[in-house]
Amino acid sequence: MPMTNLNKADQRDLFRGALEMMILRSLLREPMHGYALVQHIKQRSNELLQVEEGSLYPALQRMLREGLVKAEWEISASNRKVRTYRITPAGKKHLEREISSFERMLAGITRVLSPNET
Amino acid sequence: MTIKQFFLRRRIYDELTEEIRQHLDEKTEELMREGMSREEAEYAARRDFGNVTRIEERGREAWMWPLIESLWADARYAVRQLVKNFGFAATAIITLALGIGATTAIFSLVEAVLLRPLPFPEPDRLVWIDQQDHSLPGVAPESLSYPDYFDWRAQNHTLSGIASYVGSGVIFQNPSGSERVEAQIVSANFFDVLGVGPVLGRDFQWTDEKPGNRVVMLSYAFWQSQFGAAKDISGKTIRLDGHNYTVAGVMPKEFRFPLETPAPLLWKSLAEEAEDKDPQTGQRGFDVLGVIGRLKPGVTVEQAKADLSLIADNLARQYPDSNKQYTSALVEPELEHMIGDTRPAMHMLFAAVMLVLLLVCANVAGLLLARGSRRTAEFALRAAVGASRAAIVRQLLVESVILSLCGGAAGVALAFGLLRAILKIMPLDIPRIQGATLDMGVLLFVLAVSLVSGILFGVLPAWRTSRRTPVTALREGTRTVAGGRGQNRIHNSLVIAQTAIGMVLLISSGLLTRSFIRIVNVDPGFDSKHLLTSRVGVSSDLKHDQHYLFFQQMLDRIRALPGVESASAGWPLPMSHSNATVGIDIQGRPVAKGDEPNESLGLAMPGYFETMHIPLMAGRNLGPQDGLSGPPTMVINQAFAKKYFPGVNPIGQHIQVGIGDDVFEHPMREVVGVIGDIKHKGLTDDADPQMYLPYAQAVITNPYLVVRTNADPAAMQSAIDATIHGLDKGVPVYQVSTMEDYLSKSVAEPRFQVFLLTCFAGIALLLAAIGLYGLLSYMVTQRTLEIGLRMALGAQRTDVLGMIIRRGLTLALIGVGTGLAVSAVVMRLIAKMLFHTRPTDPLTFAATAALLLFVSIVSCSLPAYRAARLDPMKTLREQ
Repeated sequence: MPMTNLNKADQRDLFRGALEMMILRSLLREPMHGYALVQHIKQRSNELLQVEEGSLYPALQRMLREGLVKAEWEISASNRKVRTYRITPAGKKHLEREISSFERMLAGITRVLSPNET
Repeated sequence: MTIKQFFLRRRIYDELTEEIRQHLDEKTEELMREGMSREEAEYAARRDFGNVTRIEERGREAWMWPLIESLWADARYAVRQLVKNFGFAATAIITLALGIGATTAIFSLVEAVLLRPLPFPEPDRLVWIDQQDHSLPGVAPESLSYPDYFDWRAQNHTLSGIASYVGSGVIFQNPSGSERVEAQIVSANFFDVLGVGPVLGRDFQWTDEKPGNRVVMLSYAFWQSQFGAAKDISGKTIRLDGHNYTVAGVMPKEFRFPLETPAPLLWKSLAEEAEDKDPQTGQRGFDVLGVIGRLKPGVTVEQAKADLSLIADNLARQYPDSNKQYTSALVEPELEHMIGDTRPAMHMLFAAVMLVLLLVCANVAGLLLARGSRRTAEFALRAAVGASRAAIVRQLLVESVILSLCGGAAGVALAFGLLRAILKIMPLDIPRIQGATLDMGVLLFVLAVSLVSGILFGVLPAWRTSRRTPVTALREGTRTVAGGRGQNRIHNSLVIAQTAIGMVLLISSGLLTRSFIRIVNVDPGFDSKHLLTSRVGVSSDLKHDQHYLFFQQMLDRIRALPGVESASAGWPLPMSHSNATVGIDIQGRPVAKGDEPNESLGLAMPGYFETMHIPLMAGRNLGPQDGLSGPPTMVINQAFAKKYFPGVNPIGQHIQVGIGDDVFEHPMREVVGVIGDIKHKGLTDDADPQMYLPYAQAVITNPYLVVRTNADPAAMQSAIDATIHGLDKGVPVYQVSTMEDYLSKSVAEPRFQVFLLTCFAGIALLLAAIGLYGLLSYMVTQRTLEIGLRMALGAQRTDVLGMIIRRGLTLALIGVGTGLAVSAVVMRLIAKMLFHTRPTDPLTFAATAALLLFVSIVSCSLPAYRAARLDPMKTLREQ
């Protein structure tokens, strides 16, 4: 089922850096090309996250520029010319930092949202 | 970002494009495997992917200096847009250039003349000083005499210094011949009061005012041109008017005072004024001095005035013969005194140029509004394909800025050119005007004003459009109304304002033109055609009879030249700014000493009035019989006769005139003739009472040579020069000019005002026409559908034509009406600059209104014609 077009009002924007984090986390598992990354993120999130496929690419360009990932043209298993992205050591460090700060933030939000005050 | 990255960027972008293409391919294939057709799959893949172009752009942005590069992209797009709309861009740029150029040039002039402080230390403390004549109903300023000046100098408590100066041309003798040089005779503290010392040598000292101490200060220019900038010049002796002068020193290059044209090249000490047997430094009543003072720190002009008035009042009682009527002093800031006369003209120019600037802003605003509205569809389209509102506004901002900058650059170039042109044709006697340079502050201000208006009105349409949803805007943009009511109202008001401003400028230029025509048509009382004039520097050391004989011989030889109709000499020449007034005593009408009336004095050689074509009204002209040994005689003009001999025959009356030479000392003279009045100071002045003494009986100055020729007078000059130099090689001939030139110079200022204001009015008319044309063309484009419908429903072409013209004329009429009303009030401000012309001159008002309406009709007719030629079927189908 392809992603449905949602009205702007219904769309939940990903907070800044979320897409980067997911990309880096996915690449940490194994190197992937753009299309595979999209599929991977969609599957893992059980299609809960509505990501415009294309928006992946500007994010990848930014990360390339900052040296968080690197890319090489390869031939895929399906015999297709693809550009495969790998996470760099700098990318790993960035990911760790981002996850830990994200977790702190999430913990904070969860506490505020939890109904029973302790 | 490194240089390498910059070169790699092309490849990076290509790779991104390729990558996205691969992505879409892969997705399409997968969807086809799921059972979609290729077409369906391709469509679905693209839909899921999003806006490819936009995503590629965002991807590329990651590699850019974010702001600068997107601005650069915007700029390139903007330039492409402007080139595509060349007519619009050119109109806007030329309009801006005119506004910026004219405003900056005029502002720079105003700055140089009115606003710039005097080029001396603490210029605010410098004051102009005169005494005031209370004998007349209106108090009139009068110069000081040397004895008065000395008393004021010694007795005042409010001035740290008070200096005198008086113009006196000298004949400078150098080995190669002699030359007339502008010079001033100044008090010893002259340079000290101004606060500037010599760069070489010493300043004047008090002893330099004593007889026998003739010293001279050289100007930098004179030192360079005559003495090759010799460092050892001070202490050397030079010859002036046949006397030895010791050079005291050399003034700095930029030093100039008084600030008049031509600039003085030498300053002489008072010694020579103290040397005669009846020295001028002792003649109370010989009122010729210019006086400048420096206030003590903390002293106000009013305090100085009170202080000096007290001294004047004492002197008036002490010396009633000469000072009776001079009971108070006049003190005003020096700058004020210098520029007082030019202030109204400068203010008028200033106002005119501000109006033009307003007009330019309104025009550019109108252009941008119309263009912005036309582009509604474009903005909507861009918004629909994903451009953010900020991006569209930024794009327009960049376009406006580029437009304004192009206009600004052209404007700066124009300002440079205009300023140079104006300085070339500007009447020379506006003080300080030649020092005008392009004023950077003003330039920046004007650039800022045009930039702001450009941005404001450039962005406004986009702002409005982008507030609406793309769909509505798109639908509207391609069809009916683009701008909406609010925008139309702004645009209409702009056009009305333009017409009104244009009207005001046109009326003021019309009034000045009318006044100018009246001025140049004034009969000066003499015939200026074919008349050549010059001065001949005969040494004043010659005895008066030798002096006269030299002139007689010279005139005889000149009269014999082929092409010369007649020749004579006289003083003062009309419009030459030389004049003198002396006291008169009419026989049989005794008055108390000190109460004698003063009237203008003239001198004439036989044949002077005939050569000038000044008509004789009664009696006879001055002739050879009024010579060195003849009975003392004189001639008066009609104004003189009317003032002193109403109802009495002036011929045969006797008058004692308070001037003469060493032979004819104040004799009782018989009036032998009455001549017609002539204009002396200017064509707009009333003819003063005037009396003429035979030159033979009053050798007191070098008269002007006047030669009436058969053909072009200027061509005669070399022959005349040769004749004079045949008589005496060492006599300099100077101030050579045709009488026509004098007349033309005397109206240089009003001519210049008319010229500038007419230029502005022309620009205004053009801008108003462009504004109206722009609005109507825009309206026709906007209402094409409506017009098509009307015609399809049976409206005639003439109806359509009438509809558009009616609309344009309504706006023009409101503008003209507003302009007339405003002018009726505002023109009173220039009443003083008008000669025999009422500031509400109905003919000028009516003619201007007619002109503006005519131009309005012309600028309406093109859009109207275009509307009337619309093919209704085609229009409706296209829409």
